[in-house]
Amino acid sequence: MDLKVIDNATCTFCGCVCDDIQLHADENRIHQAKKACVLGKAWFLNHTAERKYPDALIDGHEATLDEAIEAAADHLYKADMPLVYGMSNTTCEAQRECVEMADHLGGLLDSHTSL
Amino acid sequence: MTCTLGEVKNRADFIVYWGGNPAECHPRHFTKYTLMQKSRFLPRGRKDRTMVLVDIRETKSVKAADVFLQVRPGKDFELITILRAMIKDQPISDAQLAETGLTREQLQDFVTRMKAAKFGVFFFGMGLSMTRGKHMNSAALLTLAAELNAFTKFVAMPMRGHGNVTGADVIMRWQTGYPFGISFNRGYPRYNPGEFSTVDVLVRGDTDCNFIIGADPGATMPKPAIEHLASVPTIVLDPHVTHTSKLARVHITTAPAGISAPGTAYRMDEIPMPLRPALESPYPSDEEVVRRIKETILKKPDWMGERPQMLTSQVG
Repeated sequence: MDLKVIDNATCTFCGCVCDDIQLHADENRIHQAKKACVLGKAWFLNHTAERKYPDALIDGHEATLDEAIEAAADHLYKADMPLVYGMSNTTCEAQRECVEMADHLGGLLDSHTSL
Repeated sequence: MTCTLGEVKNRADFIVYWGGNPAECHPRHFTKYTLMQKSRFLPRGRKDRTMVLVDIRETKSVKAADVFLQVRPGKDFELITILRAMIKDQPISDAQLAETGLTREQLQDFVTRMKAAKFGVFFFGMGLSMTRGKHMNSAALLTLAAELNAFTKFVAMPMRGHGNVTGADVIMRWQTGYPFGISFNRGYPRYNPGEFSTVDVLVRGDTDCNFIIGADPGATMPKPAIEHLASVPTIVLDPHVTHTSKLARVHITTAPAGISAPGTAYRMDEIPMPLRPALESPYPSDEEVVRRIKETILKKPDWMGERPQMLTSQVG
């Protein structure tokens, strides 16, 4: 089977953010991550495109994405002191949305840096 | 006072790792940026560079070092202060030296090497910034780097872990003026680590709703913080059902960044890198989900009323 080759892929496992990785992937998973270190290989090879988890969970029960977004917005809106935290394993674009959301909520905003 | 890893690769002939284990935590740091690369200014690569490791114990990184200085645990601040004095030829007592666990000869040799370097760099890890003294240790090391510039070129850079945590700092600085530990509850950003930083806030039980993205505090934080996460509504966005998801009221599965979600991530020297995802995910990206939650909140009446200084009016 032919694998799709992606040159100069970026690894976001550690702060080195190596941008010279060659990935060999089919539709479901990455088979090879050339030039990546042990940590990077594990990072790329352990994620698949399978539907391994439900779209969303509300109180432990499976739910749709739309329901979960409504529930999340309700909880955040009702709170007096909501906290937006983490933002490590995500993109800058998502981080920007988080900052704006925390601003609208009048809440707290923090990342791993403070640990 | 810092620089890019490209400058380190091309120019740094004296490299100090302080309180970190790059051989195991950043495996390609040596080969890609700091030690092994040859350049116009360092044509013999590793032979033209000197590497010093300062740590409390022997790790795998010791093998890569020319000099290993084993500092006594919790005495980094004292050691840095002594070095700051020694570069200015100020007297140091034997008792002060004994506290660090190092000898006068070792430190004199270190100081001579630092001053003789053409381009020196301190890479400091969590062994410095997260142990006794915390950010005061980092501040002391930055001061030492600044003061060494009276003799030669010297810079300092934190060794960041956790993927895009550097990006989080950069984005928060850009949007709010502060890098982390921010409160918007007066309608404008305020910065006060210790008061607004997550561990402290959770341990005190200050929040009544937690939104967790790209992190798993349920696996890493102290027990009182985890108990608080479970006691109020917590919302988790993650590619996996994590420890935190199991305590949470709402979990949303998202596409992993860089594997099936596109975007940007910052390298530890604050260089942004585009991501090239290899897989199509059945799940939406973090960006899309956060935007949709934000838009749902925005449809509700603003609890604060008129706000002329919103970030949206600055960056749309």
